[in-house]
Amino acid sequence: MLTIEKAAWDVMVAHAEATYPNECCGVMLGKGKTVTRAKALDNTYEGAQEDRYEIRPEDLLAADREARKDGLDIVGIFHSHPDCAAYFSKTDLENSCPWYSFVVLSILKGKFDNAGSFLPNAEQTEAPEEELIWPKS
Amino acid sequence: MAKILIPTPLRQFAGGNDTVDVTGATVGEALTALTTAHPDLRKNLYNDAGALRSFVNVYLNDEDIRYLSKDATPLSDGDTISIVPSIAGGR
Repeated sequence: MLTIEKAAWDVMVAHAEATYPNECCGVMLGKGKTVTRAKALDNTYEGAQEDRYEIRPEDLLAADREARKDGLDIVGIFHSHPDCAAYFSKTDLENSCPWYSFVVLSILKGKFDNAGSFLPNAEQTEAPEEELIWPKS
Repeated sequence: MAKILIPTPLRQFAGGNDTVDVTGATVGEALTALTTAHPDLRKNLYNDAGALRSFVNVYLNDEDIRYLSKDATPLSDGDTISIVPSIAGGR
């Protein structure tokens, strides 16, 4: 089970709505399975970003350094699916990493609709969904 | 002596350490020293063919070793090696 605290959740939803109709991406920091801080990152995919995202590894390196400095860990990665459900797609799976929770935010007509969290395996062949708790307000 | 920063999910395979000090003349030697000391890390970083998994990037200080001399990149005392995943996707 992954729990996202309100301050982090607000950053994630704001970023996902602001980048609509493109996909957004970012990193979630915290301890254990609780996210206390989210950082919006640039989508560096070179092409149509309505249905693709890519994170610059240097941005993850910087996030890891920030986390270590503040006594936190990288807990997961988030991205949005504009006008699409919060599922883990084949493209998501083939470009994933098994070390983190992957949260997908569904953004319909520019507004947050739903979210899911997934745990891809090392072979990038499956990503079971885990329970996701976010502030309902 | 160089330092390898261990990503949080892999620390359980590295004796619980968030960093591991290693000796080696190159990045490749340092990674070999790491996985020799902590064999359970190997399957997390390398595939069955012995190559780094597709989602694994290795940085020496601020540089991706693919743009240096890859495994043969020389190490200096005090260098930091980071293991950084490649992440992308789309609906």
